[in-house]
Amino acid sequence: MGTYIARRLAHAALTLLAVATILFVLFRLMPGDPTAQVISPALDGAAQARLKAAFGLDRPLWQQYLIYLANVATLEWGQSFTTFEPVARIVADRMVNTLLLMSAGLAMAIGFGGALGMLMAWRRGGPLDIGATLAALVFQAAPPFVTGILLLMVLSYNLDLLPSAGMLTPGSKLFGLWEIVTSADFLSHLVLPTAAITVYYLATPMLIMRDSMLEVMGSDYVEFARAKGLSPAVVMVRHAARNALLGIVTVASLLLGFAIGGQVVVETVFSWPGMGKLMVEAATRHDYPVAQATFFMLATLVVGLNLLTDLSYGWLDPRIRTGHAR
Amino acid sequence: MTAVLRFLAEQWRIIRADRLGMIGALIVGFALLVALLAPYIAPHDPWTSLRAADGRMAVLRPPSWEYLLGTTSLARDILSQMIWATRTTVAIGLVSGLISILIGANIGLIAGYYGGRIDEVLMRLTDIVYGMPFLPFVIVLIALFGRSISFVVLAIVVIVWRTSARVIRAQTLSLRERQFVTAARARGAGDLRIIYLHIMPNVLPLLLLYTAFNIAWAIITEASASFLGFGDPDLVTWGGILFDLWTSGRIRTAWWWFAPPALAIVVFVAALVFISRAYETVANPRLQER
Repeated sequence: MGTYIARRLAHAALTLLAVATILFVLFRLMPGDPTAQVISPALDGAAQARLKAAFGLDRPLWQQYLIYLANVATLEWGQSFTTFEPVARIVADRMVNTLLLMSAGLAMAIGFGGALGMLMAWRRGGPLDIGATLAALVFQAAPPFVTGILLLMVLSYNLDLLPSAGMLTPGSKLFGLWEIVTSADFLSHLVLPTAAITVYYLATPMLIMRDSMLEVMGSDYVEFARAKGLSPAVVMVRHAARNALLGIVTVASLLLGFAIGGQVVVETVFSWPGMGKLMVEAATRHDYPVAQATFFMLATLVVGLNLLTDLSYGWLDPRIRTGHAR
Repeated sequence: MTAVLRFLAEQWRIIRADRLGMIGALIVGFALLVALLAPYIAPHDPWTSLRAADGRMAVLRPPSWEYLLGTTSLARDILSQMIWATRTTVAIGLVSGLISILIGANIGLIAGYYGGRIDEVLMRLTDIVYGMPFLPFVIVLIALFGRSISFVVLAIVVIVWRTSARVIRAQTLSLRERQFVTAARARGAGDLRIIYLHIMPNVLPLLLLYTAFNIAWAIITEASASFLGFGDPDLVTWGGILFDLWTSGRIRTAWWWFAPPALAIVVFVAALVFISRAYETVANPRLQER
């Protein structure tokens, strides 16, 4: 297990190094002045020269690269071109907001999807099975910004049931993370964006759960549990579902890789003050330090979550960590 | 020529055997027809602001006999925009879907067939691409190099091949040990001949399945990027129409402006998913009994 973890960690670190390198190269290839990566063209000449020296942009390229990597590792991204605040401070708050929305959406998708998939397998070929399969295929085809706008139109604009934008009502006096996330105001703002994400990602865990349930339900030990006279519900939850969970973990990493894209558009549609919205704004305004930092942090999120699923999979399935399955 | 016809007949048989696959094929066929005929069937120019009979600008008109799908806040005809957008969106989807499957299939086949160091290097490369958040990468690339269609396609292609490469590699790994491969090698067939003439035909259903998937992903990603304002400003796309609606601030009232592009995206992507399901039963016969 130790070497398995070490190897996974090394792969993750290597991937992030590659992502940072690709960013470095892209900004050098960009048309125009490469120093525009960290130095706002709005500053006067003396301030530009000072920043150039501070970021080592007057040195040879290979030294610039090493300085760049050191800056990435220490989260030193410079200042925003638009607000002149340190980028690291802007990004930190937004990261928390993104994680809140993303974990709510993925938890709902996996929870609901898993439960639905279990029921579908139990009544295979029934109306729920056929209806949910078709619905899942259609929802999967609807990009989350389309579902999001539809939810906004119906539930917010027309029926006025839920707030349409932001994370809190403007002028809210709430303070501190715990106070915010437990407030009714925050939760009512959370409902619509979470629903948009859930609907989009529901299909994968649902169909996987259904398929692995069907596989497990035909196996000997489930037959045996049934023969012992256990009630069907007990057999399903305690014996079949537990083993089918492995399938969900496998797909989780696949889901997470795509979850970021959905996150970006949903945050924009619902004006959720997260990394995705920040990134879109920064890219639109050519605020390169912020755009770079948000991109790298989103990449770190993807790599970190993939690492987590790899490790939990290794923990659940002994064949993986010993390397026999490879 | 006969080989091509036989290939097409075989694909038709696979898709026709699956009712949803059949519906998907009809939808894709219809979209292709609209895309090809766009210049002839669009009633107006998609960029021209139209004047009504009384001489005033036809701004935000709901659907009527005159404007079948209504007009935008700039008095543009939505039906004509939809027809031209079908042309660009379908073209972007097909081009990036086909290039990416070409890359993914080759990387998967080569990594799976040769194994060892080549496999290790190619799979690390795939891991790195998996570390790239897809849509954010498209946004960064376009922010740096400009809002042009070629960078949209490039950004999509560079990322979307990754899943097909992994899946095709896994399939190739198991095929390479089969008897027909050993037999071909014993007859003196070279590596390239074995890969493309013996192994590839066996991964073909999987390849077509992922071609449909890649096109679907390309279209969703292009639509998302355009919706966020990173599309080519000189072209109309489904996502671009939604961006115009979103920035016009008329989202609360102009449902006729929202419904056509939204439905087009959902229906077209669903059609591709239906087609890929038809291939899934061929690629993985175990699924058939479910």
